[in-house]
Amino acid sequence: MTLQHYLVISAILFTLGIFAVLTRRNAISILMGIELILNSCNLNFAAFSRFMTPSEDISGQIIAIFGIVLAAAEAAVFLAIILAIYREFGSIRPDEVDTLKG
Amino acid sequence: MVVPLISIILLCPLAAFAIFGLLGLANRRFPRQDYLSTAAMLIALACSFLLLREVVPSPEAHTVDWLSLGGVTFSMGFYLDSVTVIMLIVVTLVSSLVHIFSMGYMHGDPRYPRFFAYLSLFSFSMLFLVVSDNLLGIYIGWELVGLCSYLLIGFWFEKDSAANACKKAFLTTRVGDVGMFIGMMMLFKQFKTLSLYGDGIFTRITNPEYFTADATGIVWLSIAGVLIFCGAIGKSAQMPLHTWLPDAMEGPTPVSALIHAATMVAAGVYLTARMFPILTETSSLVIAYVGGITALVAATIAIVRFDIKRVLAYSTISQLGYMMLAIGAGSYVAGLFHLTTHAFFKALLFLGSGSVIHAFHAMHAHAHDDEHDHEHADSEEHILGSEIPPDQDMRNMGGLRHKMPITFVTMLIATLSISGVPFIFSGFWSKDAILGGVLGRAMEWNSAHHYILFGMALCAAGITAFYMFRLIFMTFFGEPRNQEMHDMAHESPKSMTVPLLILAFLSLPVVNILWFNEAYVKPPPQPHLHAPQHAYIAPDGNTGGKGYAVSLFGVSEAVAAEEEGGHSTDGTHADDGHHGHGPAHTIAMVLSIIVAGLGIFLSWLFYHRRTLSAESVATTCRPLYNLFWHKYYFDEFYDGVLVTLTVWKARLFAQFDGSVVDGIVNGVGFVTRDLLAAFTGAFDNRVVDGIVNRVAQVTWAVGGRIRRIQTGAIQTYLFVVLAGIVLLILIFRAL
Repeated sequence: MTLQHYLVISAILFTLGIFAVLTRRNAISILMGIELILNSCNLNFAAFSRFMTPSEDISGQIIAIFGIVLAAAEAAVFLAIILAIYREFGSIRPDEVDTLKG
Repeated sequence: MVVPLISIILLCPLAAFAIFGLLGLANRRFPRQDYLSTAAMLIALACSFLLLREVVPSPEAHTVDWLSLGGVTFSMGFYLDSVTVIMLIVVTLVSSLVHIFSMGYMHGDPRYPRFFAYLSLFSFSMLFLVVSDNLLGIYIGWELVGLCSYLLIGFWFEKDSAANACKKAFLTTRVGDVGMFIGMMMLFKQFKTLSLYGDGIFTRITNPEYFTADATGIVWLSIAGVLIFCGAIGKSAQMPLHTWLPDAMEGPTPVSALIHAATMVAAGVYLTARMFPILTETSSLVIAYVGGITALVAATIAIVRFDIKRVLAYSTISQLGYMMLAIGAGSYVAGLFHLTTHAFFKALLFLGSGSVIHAFHAMHAHAHDDEHDHEHADSEEHILGSEIPPDQDMRNMGGLRHKMPITFVTMLIATLSISGVPFIFSGFWSKDAILGGVLGRAMEWNSAHHYILFGMALCAAGITAFYMFRLIFMTFFGEPRNQEMHDMAHESPKSMTVPLLILAFLSLPVVNILWFNEAYVKPPPQPHLHAPQHAYIAPDGNTGGKGYAVSLFGVSEAVAAEEEGGHSTDGTHADDGHHGHGPAHTIAMVLSIIVAGLGIFLSWLFYHRRTLSAESVATTCRPLYNLFWHKYYFDEFYDGVLVTLTVWKARLFAQFDGSVVDGIVNGVGFVTRDLLAAFTGAFDNRVVDGIVNRVAQVTWAVGGRIRRIQTGAIQTYLFVVLAGIVLLILIFRAL
């Protein structure tokens, strides 16, 4: 297992996340895509920390843990927003929520 | 000692007025203004007497620089010689007595304190005028007394006649004052100063640096002298500006006594006397003629008046004319002497008439209240003198000598004095001094003018005796004509009779002592007055004046001798004091006694014995009587010509204003509104608004296009963001 393997997996996760965010019609799915993107980032942090720095330096892994925590908090806020949108519009499809359309 | 004394004299009345201003207005009925003002006057009187002793040996002057404008400095100061001090005494004495009299006469008037405050202000102004040593100060005092006269004539301003009279007085005197101001400016231009004494006009007039006495210079000096005399014509009510003085009798009677008989109207005479050194032959003659004509004409008008106060008013005008005549004829001392004696006996006559009016007035106020109001409402007729208040109408009087003994006796003394009854009355001496002076000048210069003037003065003297005794006979003798009014008449209170008694004493020749002493009064030299070529000039320039301090009975000769002495000593021309004037004065005295006796006798025949009927004479000489009755049509002339002309002129100007000025304004308005405004409006609408609208339209259209990119779809935004990032990465890679 080399760094390249991790980076490839991370890239695949990132691409999948982007794809989900841009194409899904459901806000929950978009959230899931965002989570994939975040996780690909965390994987990159951990991988670069493992392979590119001395083994006693684990700051990359620490940042990955921060990222996970961040993702959890973000998910909570996101879900709350989705709930509020649903209450307001009766739908969670982002293409139907276009009040700001010019 | 002089400076503090003069300060007290000036400041006392001013302070009395200022205290009224501070307290009286705050506390509307400041109760003791009468005592305050009277006390101030009495202090000033005492100080004036003290000054007499200080000043008489030599004149005193004190000057301070007042204000510098450019290269010119105006000074303020006083000049005290014997004439000034005598004037101070006359003013303060008459003023004090009038104050005391007013306490009785004005008692109960709603504006009682204000009356005394005005009197104080007047006294201050008059004293300031008298002591000023320069024309500017004299002019300030001059205008101030004019103001006080205006305020006091209009003191009962509820009456239309009083309100009109005060306006008339103010405007008429203003006509003369304009002339006076022009004259002052001419002297200022020539002599570069308005001061009279010290290094003033009277010194510079003989200084070739300032004035050359060639023909042109004399002409201009004459014109300046006549112009300054114009001020005196207005203030001293000489022809033709005399019409205000009879109307001024609308004021309270004490005011008539103080201002319009004794002091203010004499200010014109005083000014003319002060300007004595600049008088030339021509201006002297003008002054003498104005005075002579005034004396004669006013006396004839007085014959036919029935209003007691108007008789006295015309008498005042006539006597002022006498004084002017004296000064114009070079009898400086005689003119001022007559001013002094006249001040006392005329004040007495006015206060006496006030006492009579006062006696009638209380009753009249009850009996004829309605009529009284009615007749004052009809003001225009009143101004013309055809309507007389019943309490002043001599036809309602008669037989009052038993009711009012003190008033009768004192007024009789004044009447004897003004009529020139010989020897024991002051008026005889002063009037005779004038007559003698004029006749003396006539004989000395062999001048027809002065003989004519002497004739006028003599006629006026006879007429004066006639109308004054007419007044006395109609008022105090005979049977009461109006029994109802007569029953209620009464002698006046002490505050009124005491001043009458004092003034009666002063109408005896006691006042003459002021003029007896040779050292007291010397006429100033007249460097530019020359006798005409044909005049008789004695070979020896006798200095004269020796016989001045002489006995009582010799005073008239002495006065003439003195004034001729003054001429001789100045050295510019020699004349003969003694030789020409002994006879002149004897002749004048005899003639004046004869005409006075004749006047009194005729008056007695007409109005006491009634052997001659005034009515039948009036019918026989109807045109003459009408002329006198209508006062030579002066008022009609002014109303008919000047007033009409002024109104017509005003209409013309109004029309000019309405058509031309308004036309220009409207034209400018039309051009502005209808042409300029239309153009700028169009520019504004088309160009400015066009630019603004075009900008807005472009913005609107662009906005309409651009807003399409705001889809509201979040995923589109994200896609664009992603594409942008990819693009940036590619760009940076390419770099």
